[in-house]
Amino acid sequence: MQRALRAGLQYHDFDVRAVGTGEEAIRESAAWRPDVILLDLGLPGMDGFATLRALRPATRAAVIVVSVMPGEKDKVRALDAGADDYVVKPFGTEELVARIRAVLRRQADVTIGEPVVRTGDLEIDLGRRHVSVHGETVRLTPTEYELLRYLALHAGKPVSHTTLLRQVWGEYAVGDKYNTRYVVAQIRKKLGDDPANPKYIVNEPGVGYRLET
Amino acid sequence: MIRRLAPYAVAVAAAGAITAVIGVVAPAATPSALSSLYLLPVLWLAARWGRGPAITGSVAAFLLYDFFFVPPVGTFTVRGPAEVLELAVLLAVALVTSQLAASQRRAQATAEALAKDSRALYDLATSMLRANDVTHALKLVADGALKSPVVERFAVVGEAGQLAGSQLTADELNQAAWSRDRAQAVGIAIKDGAVVPMKTHGGASSLAYLPLQSGVVVLTLRPEPAEAAEMRMLAALIGLADLLLDRRRATVEAERARGFEASDRLKAAILSSLSHELKSPIAALRAGLTALTAPRAGLQEEQRELLGDLDRQATRLDRMVGDLLALSRLEAGVEMDREPHSLADVVGGSLREIRPQLKGHEVTVRIPDDLPPVEVDEMQVGRVFSNLLENAVEWAPPQGGIEVGAVAIDDHVEAWVENDGPPIAPADLERVFDTFWTRRTSGTGLGLAIVKRVVDAHGGVIRAENRRRGPRFTFTLPLARFAVSR
Repeated sequence: MQRALRAGLQYHDFDVRAVGTGEEAIRESAAWRPDVILLDLGLPGMDGFATLRALRPATRAAVIVVSVMPGEKDKVRALDAGADDYVVKPFGTEELVARIRAVLRRQADVTIGEPVVRTGDLEIDLGRRHVSVHGETVRLTPTEYELLRYLALHAGKPVSHTTLLRQVWGEYAVGDKYNTRYVVAQIRKKLGDDPANPKYIVNEPGVGYRLET
Repeated sequence: MIRRLAPYAVAVAAAGAITAVIGVVAPAATPSALSSLYLLPVLWLAARWGRGPAITGSVAAFLLYDFFFVPPVGTFTVRGPAEVLELAVLLAVALVTSQLAASQRRAQATAEALAKDSRALYDLATSMLRANDVTHALKLVADGALKSPVVERFAVVGEAGQLAGSQLTADELNQAAWSRDRAQAVGIAIKDGAVVPMKTHGGASSLAYLPLQSGVVVLTLRPEPAEAAEMRMLAALIGLADLLLDRRRATVEAERARGFEASDRLKAAILSSLSHELKSPIAALRAGLTALTAPRAGLQEEQRELLGDLDRQATRLDRMVGDLLALSRLEAGVEMDREPHSLADVVGGSLREIRPQLKGHEVTVRIPDDLPPVEVDEMQVGRVFSNLLENAVEWAPPQGGIEVGAVAIDDHVEAWVENDGPPIAPADLERVFDTFWTRRTSGTGLGLAIVKRVVDAHGGVIRAENRRRGPRFTFTLPLARFAVSR
């Protein structure tokens, strides 16, 4: 698997280094400073989540978690532990490359520090707290704006329900996931977004929401 | 016989003794004042043996007093009204006091019997509560019942066979099961807190059966007439047996449930590791195959096409493994993770998942904006929509339309997926949900079987039908509880 992935990524012009354990990954990421880390959760020795938690503060690299686990709970755990995205095995090289390009693009956006997030006709001006569709102002309640703002800050990245709850309602929010679902439904209504075929806020089944880029 | 007559002999003797005492002291006092001495033995007799000996004592006293002290002395005749009155008072006082003493004695006897009953029951109930083992407590109850003078045999039968008491034969156990299944008592009843034997064909020594909540009590009463207190005690013991049988059943059921739960967890763990074992090699296959199809890998066009075909086969294998695991998980009864969800959101997720397969098909979504939330497992119901949509894509003609819709009816939502492909043969409308049944050669035959099981697990129903436009799959999902109560 590792050899196949390395070959596949090299054919797509990526510079690849592969290691076998979590400890090596932590050492290598400090020495070599990669842009993206692919982290398989099924590691020998130090477990995938522990490796992720150790990597996150030590590197600015985007982390894409690779897992064969069918459970959505693992995806949520990985995202909440600081992963930027996840791919479920088995996957094709094309799909993986697309994901890597997406996180790299997001990284570039964050680096530029663009205060205005645009997706299609939707424009979120984070500096002026102003949201518009087709140039027309959309009036959001403070809760709705906070939720949209958080999704915009992480545009393209799936954000879990628990993270949204904590970010929008506060650290000690005792919330129901239906709170976020309800607020997202309200935002979509105001943005004129169809929940069954959304242009802006996309449902990540079992995980949370993602602002399309 | 002699023992029963003894109190009467003592009564006569006591009256004689008092007569002798009066004879000794009579010269010094008027005999009429001394007649009240007779009340002493009468009271004692009444208290000790009850009314019969007391009356015997009073009559003897009356006759002796009349004979020895009432003039004319030496005869039973009475001379004047004063003497008649004196004798009448003696007899009346003797009768009344003996009556009072006797009823006092009876009340005391009843109180003692009651105290004995409640002490016995208390002892039994205490040891029963202390016994962790319900079967042991049932044995205590049976032992208690067998100590009763009215009981010849006593046995407790649970749902799986005899639990305590006198050994029953196979026939008797069958009879007990019959009695339990029909909740039909035979030969015995409990009325006003006491056991009442009923006249039966079998005579007094035949077994009686009394069905309880979770078992049967089988017993034979002795033919002799029984005291009411004994029958009440017996009814109380049967009541205890009833409670114990209930407790036993609850314990057995709880243990069984724990066993199921543990085996569920085990199944889930096995399926999860199986999933890992089966998917990892497929993942390596696909990674290798797709790596080699990159133009930079330097292979010929023809070779890359071949690898592409192989990758499609690997993808199909992955889907089959996924479907099989999903089906096994559903059959193992893995819990649904049900929460309130917007159905449009769930449908949106499914549509996005299968978008690459939609090709040129136009999908119309008819879900009202104000559809109340449904209480479902998002992943599982998402799979229902994905599978039905894939099925629709497979059958709709090229560029044909597919419709997804939902509407709220009472306490549930009715959802459907429809395409304008050819109708399903009427004979197949039921069979489409069978495991491994498929209309096409490329299908796994698991997609619709999974759909049905997920709908079932949500307490819904699903049906396939041919509409004018084409085949439609309609199924129900529960509304969120808070939406129903609104």
